[in-house]
Amino acid sequence: MKYEMSRVVRTVTDILVVPIIIFGIYLIIHGHLTPGGGFQGGAVIASSTALLVIAYGSFGKHKKDLSSLESLGLTLFILLALIGMGSTMFYNYISGTGGLFGGTLPSLGINPGYINTGGTITLMNLMVGLEVSAALSLIIWMMSKRSGMMEPEETISPSEEVEK
Amino acid sequence: MRKSIAIVAFLVIFAFLAGAAVEMRPFGEPDQSAMDDHFLGDTQERHQVNNVVTAVLFDYRGLDTLGEATILFSAVSGVLTVLREIKKDEKEEEVATK
Amino acid sequence: MSEIVLIIQFLVLIGLILTALAVVFFKDLISAAIALGASSLLLSLQFFLLRAPDVAIAEAAVGAALTTAIFIFAIKSTERKEGYK
Repeated sequence: MKYEMSRVVRTVTDILVVPIIIFGIYLIIHGHLTPGGGFQGGAVIASSTALLVIAYGSFGKHKKDLSSLESLGLTLFILLALIGMGSTMFYNYISGTGGLFGGTLPSLGINPGYINTGGTITLMNLMVGLEVSAALSLIIWMMSKRSGMMEPEETISPSEEVEK
Repeated sequence: MRKSIAIVAFLVIFAFLAGAAVEMRPFGEPDQSAMDDHFLGDTQERHQVNNVVTAVLFDYRGLDTLGEATILFSAVSGVLTVLREIKKDEKEEEVATK
Repeated sequence: MSEIVLIIQFLVLIGLILTALAVVFFKDLISAAIALGASSLLLSLQFFLLRAPDVAIAEAAVGAALTTAIFIFAIKSTERKEGYK
């Protein structure tokens, strides 16, 4: 209770967090059609994390999950880049093949935009969004935890665990 | 003394910036536009993508994005290392060394 | 139409200078951090008026939200007032 903010702040946070996360996911998924992309969407999602941390003063025990998400995003990004190594690194080998995200534009020039295009660009947007959102959330979470604004996590150090 | 140094530095930087602002080319007309024209004309045909900025970020200049992601990763590793949980044994060792 | 955009750009630039001066002259560090956030928000508006929406979104998310939060966390664990005792 000591680490929570007032009821007004918590209610506004409850209302605002889900639209912010949905806007971030929209920015990531539509990165190849509209302004935005992986980094911007990830930063927006991380700002929702900052809101949660400030309002409730607690974020659960998700440090390992966030670390794993960040490493997973970076690894998949490098793998996606390395698969195209047959011609060059970062070669767009999916676009135009007709599979997932491999559609072709019906007409060059001005068009309304189709979500099923882009090839590796769309997938890399997803991976970078995963990485950036997890990384910035982790930074915010660690900073707030060490500044004494969050409730201390009840962790058992490994040596005590062995004794028990 | 410190104030006069600050005023001189401010005036010099202000003069440089004002000179750059006077000599600036008009908005939206780069000096050499060969690369821009190539990107603008080539992106839709080759990558089937509407957003040229994203195509440049993730395809033409993908290595730059890889470097940016690596920088973010190393920053998070640094933050997690500096602000880690200090276990009981380490605390006792620190007290002992002091 | 373009004259209106030009007037808005000048107003935003004047606001940028004022908020930057406020960041320097505030003695209360939390006020300075919040003024820095306002400066970032005005800078992102300027980026948007200069037709760079990608940079505007990144600046608004990182500069106005995350950097302000990190600064306030850092100030919470150190001194709030500027100057020596």
